[in-house]
Amino acid sequence: MPLAMSRVSRRTVLRGLGVGLLALGGVATFIRTSGYDLPAHRRGKLRVLDAAQFTILTAIASCVCAADGSDAPSIEETDVVGFVDTFAVSMPGRMRRDLLLFLGVIEHVAPLFAKHATRFTLLPKASQDDVLSALEVHDNGLLRGGFAGLKALLFMGYYRDPKTWSLLNYDGPTIGRAVTP
Amino acid sequence: MSIRSGADLKGQVRLLCDAVVVGTGAGGSIAARELARAGAKVIAVEEGALSTSADFNQREEQMLPLLFQDRGGRTTDDLAIRVLQGRGIGGSTVHNTNLCKRTPDAILELWHERYRVTGMRPSELAPAFERIERDLSVSEIPLAMRNRNNDILRIGTEALGWRGGQLKHNRVGCQGSGFCELGCVYNAKQNALKVVIPEAVLAGADVIADVRAVKILHDSSRVLGLYGEAIDREGRVVAEVTIDAPVVVLSASAVGSAALARASRIPDRYDLIGRRLRMHPGSVVAGRFKDEVCGDKGIPQSYECTEHLSFEEGSDKRVWITTAFAHPIGTASVLPGFGAKHMSMMRSYRHFSVLTAMLHDESMGEVYLAPDGRPALRYQMSRSDCLQLQKGLRACAELLFAAGAEEVVIPATPRVVVKSRRDLDSIDWSFGKPHSVPLTAVHPMGTMPLGDDPRSSVVNSRGEHHQVRGLFVADGSLFPTSIGGPPQISIYSFAQHLSPHIVERLRH
Repeated sequence: MPLAMSRVSRRTVLRGLGVGLLALGGVATFIRTSGYDLPAHRRGKLRVLDAAQFTILTAIASCVCAADGSDAPSIEETDVVGFVDTFAVSMPGRMRRDLLLFLGVIEHVAPLFAKHATRFTLLPKASQDDVLSALEVHDNGLLRGGFAGLKALLFMGYYRDPKTWSLLNYDGPTIGRAVTP
Repeated sequence: MSIRSGADLKGQVRLLCDAVVVGTGAGGSIAARELARAGAKVIAVEEGALSTSADFNQREEQMLPLLFQDRGGRTTDDLAIRVLQGRGIGGSTVHNTNLCKRTPDAILELWHERYRVTGMRPSELAPAFERIERDLSVSEIPLAMRNRNNDILRIGTEALGWRGGQLKHNRVGCQGSGFCELGCVYNAKQNALKVVIPEAVLAGADVIADVRAVKILHDSSRVLGLYGEAIDREGRVVAEVTIDAPVVVLSASAVGSAALARASRIPDRYDLIGRRLRMHPGSVVAGRFKDEVCGDKGIPQSYECTEHLSFEEGSDKRVWITTAFAHPIGTASVLPGFGAKHMSMMRSYRHFSVLTAMLHDESMGEVYLAPDGRPALRYQMSRSDCLQLQKGLRACAELLFAAGAEEVVIPATPRVVVKSRRDLDSIDWSFGKPHSVPLTAVHPMGTMPLGDDPRSSVVNSRGEHHQVRGLFVADGSLFPTSIGGPPQISIYSFAQHLSPHIVERLRH
């Protein structure tokens, strides 16, 4: 009897532990992945990004393409995130997977680099800047390179818009007008 | 121009010809032209689409995906180096900046002595160089077309007493719009797309765009043909294409050709295919000037500084310096940082002069197949190359100050801003390495080198594989080492020089 009790007890403990860990993981996953809502005008319109990825990318774009003056158009006016969503459609599959994976890394892992336990999208703007700054100089080359690639994509979304060109005094394409040296 | 699109094919297609050419850039276009002119039935396949001047619109976000591999996002596998390679009829000749330099004599002599390359010494290649330069209307870039960015490089070079000079190009009727890297809407580039491919078609070559080569068909001793997939604009496979031919010419670039050879399990006794990748990696330095520079206008590159470039083996001078201005998206992606500070820097766009230090590299990387079957690149810069890069960055900064820059910005992370030439001495330049500075490579080469020793080369000096009869290479893969400068004239000319050997193979 003591032997049997001991056997049952061990199983129960292990099972309990397993169930407890699963439940804990489930709760943690739920907490970390819920609460991503798309703006009404985006619902059913995105081609690659899901609600979470759209929210994360919007938060990153707000930092990366932050304006230095009131004359600079916003990421909404230039539809930076919408551009990335469309651009990603015809990316090579491997690159698209890496992009989406990297958004998850920034949301859930990168805050730790700047000593934040909260996910990226729930941090105040200044802390988000800290997280991205830490990412930009991180010792891991893949993280640095991944962020450089993401930045390039967001800047492509931003500076493709002729509304940004006056900031740079850039004339844009010469098609249909005389070329001035 | 009559070029078919693979997108119009359906089901299983079987074709028969004398020679299949894979790729339609500098090498492939010449091979197709010369074989067709010799009377051979030639089919040239190209993974990318046919885009002409009517399709180019000078918009970075649309032309980068159209004209470059991986939609302009190709990098080494550690994400340290961005690799710009052309895709589409005409290959990289569509987006390059038309610089025309012959392979340096010292490099050709080195290949002869060290790599047992025969029949390609300077005097032996001269006829091919002359022929290509004539075909492509190569000339010195007129001084009147040198823009301020290039003039700043000239002023700096002369002020320092360094070696430099005006470059040559293959443009006729250039309007100086400054959008060369996005395809020329004025059709001024005398390149594979405009000149050579139409000549190949006129001679009877069948050119098919939108066909991705998947495997070279062979029995380990001779070539049997090519298997490929016809794709639509979204990359979906619409047809399987089998081409029976006794000759296959690989001209899909040092990345594409090596990857195809590996995927096809071409015999490789000494494990050489894809192994000696060189790329000319380079980085940029920006100088801010009081007056507008407007580097985005005019011919992008027309002057070079060669003070720190020597082609002798083991040289301590392996940096080629020229200008490197970009349009807003390209500029934004290279400048360090983000947010408001980044935007403040961008506002100086028109006041920046930008120079690049490009390495005549000794490091050797590798082209391999990723799990999805696509080419991947592994490339670690050696310590010696990192030191050269650091020297190059410093030299660019010196040139900019000598030409009157108010400050110099080195786009390292974190960024380095230098206020005077004196301050250059107090800088620890060790940041000049991959991942710390943005690196770009535009000239992959060396992955299927030529030479007469099978232990150190993949193809012989006639461009034919040592073991597989009928398998030829005619692109930058052939170079046994880096060539230290723009490779288009070398690639065109090597293909011209090797074509008679391919014709000879067809006859025997």
